[in-house]
Amino acid sequence: MAVRAQFQGSNEVGVFSTLTNAYAIVAVGASENFYSIFEAELQDVIPICHATIAGTSIVGRLTAGNKKGLLVPTTTTDQELQHLRNSIPDTVKIQRIEERLSALGNVICCNDHVALVHPDIERETEEIIADVLGVEVFRQTIADNVLTGSYMTLSNQGGIVHPKTSIQDQDELSSLLQVPLVAGSVNRGSAVVGAGMVVNDWMAVTGNSKSSFFITMFANPPSRSRHNGYRAIGS
Amino acid sequence: MAPAKEEAALSKPLYVFDLPEEILSTITLKTQPHLPTREPPQPSEKSAEEPAERLESENGSPAKATSCNLCGLNFATVPDQRNHVRSDLHGYNLKQKLKGLKPVGEADFEKLVGDLDESISGSESDESEDDFDDDGSKPKESTLSALLKKQAKISGSEFDEFASQKKQRGSGKPPMLWFTSPSLPENTSLGIYRAIFTEAEQEEESHIIEALRSKQLPPTLPPKLNPDGGIPLPNTEIGPHYFLCMIGGGHFAAMVVSLAPKLAKRAGAEERSATVIAHKTFHRYTTRRKQGGSQSANDSAKGAAHSAGSSLRRYNEAALVSEVRELLTSWKTLIDSAELIFIRATGTTNRRTLFGPYEGQVLRNNDTRNRGFPFSTRRATQKELMRCFVELTRVKQSTIDEAALATLNAPQPDTKVFTPSTPKQSKPPKPTKEEEEAALHTTQITSIIKRSKVPALLNYLKSNTISPTFTFSPANHHTPTPLHLAAALNSAPAVTALLTKAGADPTIMNDDARTPFTLAGDRATRDAFRLARFELGESAFDWDAAGVPSALTRSELEKREAREKSEKAEEDKVEAARRKAETERLRKESEAEEVKKRESRLGKGKALGAAPVKSGQEKREEEMRGLTPEARARMERERRARAAEERMKRLQGN
Repeated sequence: MAVRAQFQGSNEVGVFSTLTNAYAIVAVGASENFYSIFEAELQDVIPICHATIAGTSIVGRLTAGNKKGLLVPTTTTDQELQHLRNSIPDTVKIQRIEERLSALGNVICCNDHVALVHPDIERETEEIIADVLGVEVFRQTIADNVLTGSYMTLSNQGGIVHPKTSIQDQDELSSLLQVPLVAGSVNRGSAVVGAGMVVNDWMAVTGNSKSSFFITMFANPPSRSRHNGYRAIGS
Repeated sequence: MAPAKEEAALSKPLYVFDLPEEILSTITLKTQPHLPTREPPQPSEKSAEEPAERLESENGSPAKATSCNLCGLNFATVPDQRNHVRSDLHGYNLKQKLKGLKPVGEADFEKLVGDLDESISGSESDESEDDFDDDGSKPKESTLSALLKKQAKISGSEFDEFASQKKQRGSGKPPMLWFTSPSLPENTSLGIYRAIFTEAEQEEESHIIEALRSKQLPPTLPPKLNPDGGIPLPNTEIGPHYFLCMIGGGHFAAMVVSLAPKLAKRAGAEERSATVIAHKTFHRYTTRRKQGGSQSANDSAKGAAHSAGSSLRRYNEAALVSEVRELLTSWKTLIDSAELIFIRATGTTNRRTLFGPYEGQVLRNNDTRNRGFPFSTRRATQKELMRCFVELTRVKQSTIDEAALATLNAPQPDTKVFTPSTPKQSKPPKPTKEEEEAALHTTQITSIIKRSKVPALLNYLKSNTISPTFTFSPANHHTPTPLHLAAALNSAPAVTALLTKAGADPTIMNDDARTPFTLAGDRATRDAFRLARFELGESAFDWDAAGVPSALTRSELEKREAREKSEKAEEDKVEAARRKAETERLRKESEAEEVKKRESRLGKGKALGAAPVKSGQEKREEEMRGLTPEARARMERERRARAAEERMKRLQGN
């Protein structure tokens, strides 16, 4: 299912929200419109947390998470951390990371099994990511961009990568991730797909200006039977 | 080729833009051998190897999803692929790609890691120990980071090459380009400043010779006198020229020099001289005396000062800026047509003066012709600018026996980069630590003796344990020792202290074979030597060899001083009496003269009109006549007071 939303007139919903299979984090805005879109879809399914990170509303770019864990940057205050802890399920581990690349949403792209991270991320951080999110971590670039979180959006079902990713790279990435991938753009041609949309396994939220073609494509992603390797994840 | 001819070519200083034909036709750029450490991380054979590898992956087995396009590797299974993506090789190649470099193959990577092991074997041992305590993945990771760290250090030079391609005026390149020519004597190379060449020419070093050839200019001959005797008009065509300018410390100097040399016959030999098209210098008082720095810098750091000097300097700074900018504007056509612009302007204030930004500015920051002086320069003066121009355009000569050097430096050939240096440029040998120390002591002791600070002197000698036979360094011919200096400066206390307390030897002679005593300029200093002779005793030194006369005790000295004092007092007394008698005589003489004059005019005897001379008593009685008794008493009192004052005065006079 795909819904459209805007945060204070901005279509970059990935900047202002984080969506996982276990919880959603939504920035505190001037109005509740953005929040209510999430609420309409997710109420009684997963908790939705109103939050700021380091006093800002760009929560989607500063945090990275999946159903097992949530990573927040070192700039997060204790109050914010406490609020997040109170709002999201106890099964979700929350970890504050001391990392130079503090916009974790930009440098980490993950689903519940794998994460693609910035090549320059610290070794300690890589270990924390693996431990907290319970994923296999790969240092990668997306179409020669180091910001994997910005140029890729990923769920357990599939993902969208930067529109200029070569077919060979797409194949490699999808083999690595064991999910089908397509190259595409969001919000009428924006290449920063990670910032333009948020997804989990059963819904996607994009900006209001997204053309319906992409929504259709994402709602029915290309069959993953093309790749025979989905079994590999468990093994 | 006759060696004589070779020598002749180098006998005169060479000018970059007027090189002799035989050198110019055969000159070649000297190749700077690559340093082994600076070699690019991927050897050259690999680049040939890799495309083949790629082809194989493209042709032999079509690229699969389970391959790594970046590293050019194929994998049978997904776990293999995943293991590869987590490997150091992949991580390294990822970094290489981000840096814009070619990825390396597996074998090359192994070699790199092998090199690393050799270089870090000692230093990293403790770290690797720590790593083995943890899980196995860590040491691997640390090798990658160590490799990257190492390359970050090495690739300083590599990056310079990249940077210089981007920036063009890059750092890290030697300022000189060295050339050789078969027409030169063996082992002789010619050096030309890199800054002379344009950015495009510097980029392609293979074409630099052609660039040099195209830069040659025929010298301009002195204009022939017109047959009808008139002075020829100066050549109005300027030709290629440089603009040089320096600014700093309130001094500004700028010059436009034509590159075409002017030939003039002087003493039979042809002599080149530079043609200065325009020059101008300014000086304004802008730097703070004894504090240093410009007034504006001080104002911005500490707030505006309100002293007279500060306002003077502030005014002068503004005036200098306006003068300089006015000058640049008036030279705009010359500067715009200049081949290169050499500028020395350090500090924001100076740069702002030249580059603004201000309206109608002439010099621009982004001008590709801009150059700094590739050597150190002194105060901005016309003379200094001329020196800089000559330095820039003179071809340096260096004679180095390459073969001998190569054998000498076989283990580390990288020193070769620094070898080209003319004998002229070779620095004096670096002073040893002892020499430096001695020089420091010399300056200190000299200044203390000059100020006659005896306790400080003794303290300094004692605390630095300076030997009594210490001689100044650098050597001083007149006063080689502290004692010589003290004697020459007539510093009696210092002489006494040096002789009696510090044990200085008075027999040491200076280069003129003179002992310290003979340098003493006054009696007090000489007495200091004689006193020391008494105090130290005859056996302490060979006093006769030191030229010191017989010993003098302090009591003798005091007696002598007392005697001299009394003699002086006696003399003074006699002199005073003589003066008194003399003045009396003169007074009497002049009185007699007066009387004689009057008598010659009026004749002898008493003149009729003249009142009879009254005595003091008569005068007083006359005054008091007809006065009331009170007034008389008052007058009397005053008279007595006057008399008393007179007596007192007379008493004090004696």
